Amino acid sequence: MLEVNGLAVAYGAIEAVKEVSFTVAEGQIVCLIGANGAGKSTTLKTVSGLLRPRRGEILLWGRPIHRLPAHAVLAAGIAHCPEGRRLFTDMSVEENLLLGAHLRKDRDIAADMARVYELFPVLGQRRTQRAGLFSGGEQQMLAIGRAMMARPKLIMFDEPTMGLSPIMIQQIMQTIAVLRSQGATVLMVEQNALAALTLADQGYVIDLGRTTLSGPGDQLLADPRVHEAYLG
Amino acid sequence: MAVLAQQIVNGLVLGALIGLIALGYTMVYGIIQLINFAHGEVFMVGAFGAHFLARYVLPEDVRWYVALPAMCLAAVAVSIGVAVAMERLAYRPLIGAHRLAPLITALGVSILLQEVVRVFYPGATAPLAFPRMFVEGHLAIGPVTILWTGVLALAVAPLLAAALHIYVERSRLGRAMRATAQDPDTARLMGISPNRVTLATFVIGAGLAGVGAVLYGIHYTQIDTAIGFQNGIFAFTAAVLGGIGSIRGAMLGAFCIGLVKSLAGQYVWGGVQYDYVWVFVLLILVLMFRPQGFLGRPEGMRA
Amino acid sequence: MLVGALLPWASTVLPGGAYPDRATLQFFDAPHLVSGFRLHLVLLGVLAALLSRARKPAGIGVAVIALVHMGFLIGLGAPSIGGPVALAGGLLLMWPGLTAPAPELKPPGPAVARLVLLVAFAALVWLVSETLTAGGQSRATNPYGGAEFLAFCGLVLALACALSAYGVLAWLAALTDRHRFFAFSVMLVCALALPFTDAGTGYWMTVASTIGVYAATAIGLNIVVGLAGLLDLGYVAFLGIGAFTAANLAHVVPFPVAALAGTATAGILGIVVGAPTLRVRGDYLAIVTLAFGEIFFRAAQNNIGGLTGGANSIPGIPPISMFGHAFDKPLGVLPAGSLYYAVTVVMVAVAMVMLVNLRHSRTGRAWAAIREDEDVARAMGVRTGRAKILAFLVGSMMAGLAGAVFAHKLGTVGYESFDFSESVTLLAAVVLGGMGTVPGAVVGASLLFVLPEKLREFSDYRLMLFGLALILIMRFRPRGLVSS
Repeated sequence: MLEVNGLAVAYGAIEAVKEVSFTVAEGQIVCLIGANGAGKSTTLKTVSGLLRPRRGEILLWGRPIHRLPAHAVLAAGIAHCPEGRRLFTDMSVEENLLLGAHLRKDRDIAADMARVYELFPVLGQRRTQRAGLFSGGEQQMLAIGRAMMARPKLIMFDEPTMGLSPIMIQQIMQTIAVLRSQGATVLMVEQNALAALTLADQGYVIDLGRTTLSGPGDQLLADPRVHEAYLG
Repeated sequence: MAVLAQQIVNGLVLGALIGLIALGYTMVYGIIQLINFAHGEVFMVGAFGAHFLARYVLPEDVRWYVALPAMCLAAVAVSIGVAVAMERLAYRPLIGAHRLAPLITALGVSILLQEVVRVFYPGATAPLAFPRMFVEGHLAIGPVTILWTGVLALAVAPLLAAALHIYVERSRLGRAMRATAQDPDTARLMGISPNRVTLATFVIGAGLAGVGAVLYGIHYTQIDTAIGFQNGIFAFTAAVLGGIGSIRGAMLGAFCIGLVKSLAGQYVWGGVQYDYVWVFVLLILVLMFRPQGFLGRPEGMRA
Repeated sequence: MLVGALLPWASTVLPGGAYPDRATLQFFDAPHLVSGFRLHLVLLGVLAALLSRARKPAGIGVAVIALVHMGFLIGLGAPSIGGPVALAGGLLLMWPGLTAPAPELKPPGPAVARLVLLVAFAALVWLVSETLTAGGQSRATNPYGGAEFLAFCGLVLALACALSAYGVLAWLAALTDRHRFFAFSVMLVCALALPFTDAGTGYWMTVASTIGVYAATAIGLNIVVGLAGLLDLGYVAFLGIGAFTAANLAHVVPFPVAALAGTATAGILGIVVGAPTLRVRGDYLAIVTLAFGEIFFRAAQNNIGGLTGGANSIPGIPPISMFGHAFDKPLGVLPAGSLYYAVTVVMVAVAMVMLVNLRHSRTGRAWAAIREDEDVARAMGVRTGRAKILAFLVGSMMAGLAGAVFAHKLGTVGYESFDFSESVTLLAAVVLGGMGTVPGAVVGASLLFVLPEKLREFSDYRLMLFGLALILIMRFRPRGLVSS
């Protein structure tokens, strides 16, 4: 479904991503793991069109999307739930969800919103409150809900469990599993390699801007090199 | 007492007109943090657009209730045309350029527009009489008189500001604008095109300035190429005073500026020759001591 | 290629043949002199034929000359075939890319280097003199002066581009840098020699010294905007403060004291204007300076405290007088105004030295840090407040000094000389020449104050073109014209 080949991205003179390649098959959860500054977030930002690659290509169903602006990438079916949640904290829960559905013109927006409230009842109860007033975990739920509102084929999560309590982490991971069971494809960046790889169908290790290892999630979990570097 | 009341009324009318310009400053700054120095010029070309229609296109004996809406349309069209061209040709290519570039460009646009009108518009080297296309005479409340054109300005400006406020709060585009103002990158992830939002902001600001230009023209009955710069500065001061980025703040700030100018001209040392100076003094003080204005939040708090 | 080289030459022959009476001859009454366009075209043609890397520059020059030529002919209602042919030739020359690689220019020994610099600066002065006088000074004697001047500019542009294409300009710059002191002395001597050239008339001396005053002011602004990155939109007020101070003291004290007083007053007000920079930054700072500039303008307009003369301005300021000699009188063989010219040359030289030294000083590095990112600068331990105030202080003192000279030179000072459009013009000079560069402000000021003088036809469009220039430079050459 999504194919990234030989991606390189630079901030000015510094090449943050040098050679990243991976594929995401439909219905899978794919996870990119790696140390801080390895280039994971940069990769996601490039896929979603916030950054332009210096080299390489990004194909969605065989169609190149790496030259599209961010809004066109979203229209093509990829939603990006950014690092640090990045909610519109001045706006209400409802407005945040509506912004998630910004590109949609169909009549099912209200129904989808109801679905989000069903998945995260706490959001439904406080739908008119400002997003800035919510706790970290609740904000992450809202960020996930907001990404779902675009009805994407592929959702990308950047560090969805960052700064959350263990219980919350578990809940977020469960939600991601639910999303997959409902037919969504997930591409996820995580530092919490254990939680992520347990869930993932396929994992890739990114080190210093390059994909160095890949394999099914459980296989990577068992790999001594992964174990030493990211789980030890 | 009567003089005081009269000056207050005069100041409020000026404030209403400045407010319509200030809305454009505040919206553009809110979205792309650009002091669109040339926004005053957008107002000025609007006035000349309306003047052109009334002077060269409309028949002499046209009634005001036909002419006024037509002139508003002409002013709005000219203002929007200029603003869109300005955004596309001058500002948009500068995304990612160095820090002073947008402001120097804005300055260049401002001078260019002023000079183009001064040199090429027939008779614009001197002040031009603006057609009086509204009910003549004035409303008298006790000793205080107020021209009907002033009443119109006092009615229309807050109405338009309120409409804008509702639009920004309720509509899909308004939501996109607020999102872009808060966090441009995340707004892009929501499928919002920043270029489109920016352009829409310029268009709305220019439209309001166009209406303001016609109201200004019929009230002060005279326009020249300097009105944009002067009133633009007033409007910018108003926008900062009220808290840049805030619609209500811009109107509030504009009324304050109007009052300061008209009361300082009456009561403060130096009289009308220095009324202008007091607005600048106020501007400096506000920028120094409360740059977030009445209704804005300190800059550090922006997401 | 040969055809391209021949076309400009052909065009000089063609109109002479086909349209003998009006087409070109009457226009450029000195066709084969230095300022005659025919010689320019032939020169450029030969240049293009002989030196392959100079083809593109020559093409640009030919095209410019052709366009000027066509424009003026059409303006007169006498289109000729020469113009289009020359234009085609120019375009043809511009078409092909570079062929030969740029030659390696080795740094020569000190003696040769000094000789080269001497020749180069002498040539520069000659060029300046020719540029100034090209087309004559009065439209009455030569109605086509504007066209001749522009055509000459085309030639100069082409030569500069050609030299740059062969790496000569960069080489010269490197030499200048190595023998900085020597180069500077030579430049100073050469600049002072201008009165002995063709430009040595009272009129051109007056023009040149006016340019000098604005160049010095522009260098001061360059310190504030270019080095410290603080956009000052009311800068001309300091020139005004210096001028009004000197004007008020002119009858009381000798010039050096008046100049010092003007400098000091401007400096003090510079600190007052600079004080808000401690609290206000970026765009807001630009607005604060604009507000100060407007307050000064209004105050001067209303003759505040009886110090500015208001609408009557201050007339009858005596000329500078030293050693019993008034500076507005001729001195020996030198034309009137030469002494003012010398004063401004020295002033510009001092300003340039100051700019260079400041840029490489501790303060200069602090400014550079502030310009890039004020927060980071502060975090690195730069005392940003002090540095910013200092930038305003130095800049305003420079302008104050220039203002004192300005007042004495003109003999009268009025508030109209200090309105917002003058601030914009100065800013345009700095931006045009390249923010923060040493020759930038001088080149910019020369361009912006010579062009209106030479092209009176365009005086109405002056500000319009400045506005356009600001937009275009920010768009295409944000580092200015000089820094290439």
